[in-house]
Amino acid sequence: MPEDLIAKIKQYEELLKETLKASEKYLGIISVKLLVERVKWDVSKEYREIEYLQYSEEGLSLQALVDNLKNTSDFPVNEMFKKFLARYVEILAKLVGEKEVKNIVKKLPVEELDNSFRGKR
Amino acid sequence: MERLITGIEKLDAILGGGIPLYSINIVSGTPGSGKTILVQNIVFNCAKRGLKTLYLTTISESQFKIVRHLKEFDFFEDSLLENTFIYRDLGAVLRKEGWQKTLHHLDQLVKEHQPDIVVIDSFKAIRNLFPDEREFRAFVFDAAALLSIWEITVFLVGEYDEKELTSLSEFAIADGILHLYGTEEKRFQKRYLRILKMRGTSFEQGEHLFQITPSGIEIFPRIKPTDTELAYEVASEKRKSLGIPELDAMLSGGLKEGSITAISGGTGVGKTSFALSFLREGAEKGEKGLYLSFEEPVSQLKSNALSLGWDIEKYVADELINLKFVSPIELDVDKHIYEIFETIEKNRIKRFVMDSVTSFERSVVDLQKYKDYLWALIQHLKMKKVTSILILQNDDPFSALVVSKAPLSSLFDNIIILRYVEKQATIKRVLAVLKAKGASHSRDLREFEITSEGIKVLEKFDKADMLK
Repeated sequence: MPEDLIAKIKQYEELLKETLKASEKYLGIISVKLLVERVKWDVSKEYREIEYLQYSEEGLSLQALVDNLKNTSDFPVNEMFKKFLARYVEILAKLVGEKEVKNIVKKLPVEELDNSFRGKR
Repeated sequence: MERLITGIEKLDAILGGGIPLYSINIVSGTPGSGKTILVQNIVFNCAKRGLKTLYLTTISESQFKIVRHLKEFDFFEDSLLENTFIYRDLGAVLRKEGWQKTLHHLDQLVKEHQPDIVVIDSFKAIRNLFPDEREFRAFVFDAAALLSIWEITVFLVGEYDEKELTSLSEFAIADGILHLYGTEEKRFQKRYLRILKMRGTSFEQGEHLFQITPSGIEIFPRIKPTDTELAYEVASEKRKSLGIPELDAMLSGGLKEGSITAISGGTGVGKTSFALSFLREGAEKGEKGLYLSFEEPVSQLKSNALSLGWDIEKYVADELINLKFVSPIELDVDKHIYEIFETIEKNRIKRFVMDSVTSFERSVVDLQKYKDYLWALIQHLKMKKVTSILILQNDDPFSALVVSKAPLSSLFDNIIILRYVEKQATIKRVLAVLKAKGASHSRDLREFEITSEGIKVLEKFDKADMLK
């Protein structure tokens, strides 16, 4: 796997850690874990590789993803994590409120949010 | 706060607009209290709006029986089954594979169907399948957390009685508790709903009567006096004639618009005739009136009017006079007072007669409830500026000027007393205006006659020796 791809994944790992940590304030650790599982399930319909995202009491890790993609030279990392973050934020906003999610969203680069997830269910 | 609209009109009103979305709600009550029908009515209403329900049965009624019973109701639609209304069983997995697997099974069902609503019926029945309270509590907590994350509004149906509501763990976790129960009042089996808890929203407290009809659940919210003091608009000097010129004169021109008048008297003294005259006068001026009778059927009222020389049939046909009879045997105060309000609103009633308040009182077991209802009714009529006559039956028709046995005088703006007097085998009728708030009124005792040409109020009664 190219070095820049690994670096990208590491970047997303940090970004997700921040996002999940910020969510814990509103949802609590247990519900954040459940929400991550739910979003993983949603995204896995398109990107099965998201199943390698691990989130437990020890925290979040994308190492398994890096390990499993090591022989891949070209993987749409951006698209996958865009979808993940957009879906996560969308559901979070419904659960805790738009206003409360604003601060969390502020930290995310706008281009990371996939417009296809912006519509309400 | 976003809400799930139940579609049961008055239920949404008492819930402050509906049930908060993604909440966990327990619907409790003894067997036969109406829990399952209530929940099914709600979810079918939602299903028609495109919201999907996953209905999970456990260890109570089988699916085929549930569907069979549902078909009796108008809210049921066959086309919604397996579309936006999905039945699945949770009980078998729980019995055979344990609660951990059940949670996983629930997770799979949610992923497969992605419902907006999940119902577990019966939730209480599965308690016994857990080895201990601690494990059950863990299951409840995990299930609640899972379903909330999936943006699901949950109904847990259970045969809990009232004392369990404060002791069992699931009630601490629940966001909302709707408790259904029945009582027997006089001859009636009555069903009530109480909202004991609903986090995140205000709701109407107290017991609300409900009925199960072929249309589904019909709710009659608790009538309560408003907290704000009613401001009586003395400024309005409009007068409503009773159709009896002499009596109008005794009242300085008639009854003030929006005022509440008591006509009190013994049996047969003429209370109904006075009330009919009042409505007939209004009808002639194009004002709609409602005569709510708990004493005489509609045909008798029409006949009474005819005997006074009034053919009110045309007014009835034009809905200028609405005659409604409710048998005292069937009188259910909780329900009928609500219907009174609705009729007044819907038909834009300007003149109202209740005949009699005494029958109303006799149908209520709880005296305080009766007073609350009467107060709420009077407030409502005043706020709507409906000029009203409430008839009070005096058991002693020859008594001195007595309004009623219950302390009601303060509720009325005007009080007209009718009584008999007698001496040497002659019975006469007399009337007096005991009270007319905000106006000077005659203090004379006047004789009156009821004839085939209406009511005639005669001169001041000067036969003092005929008065007891």
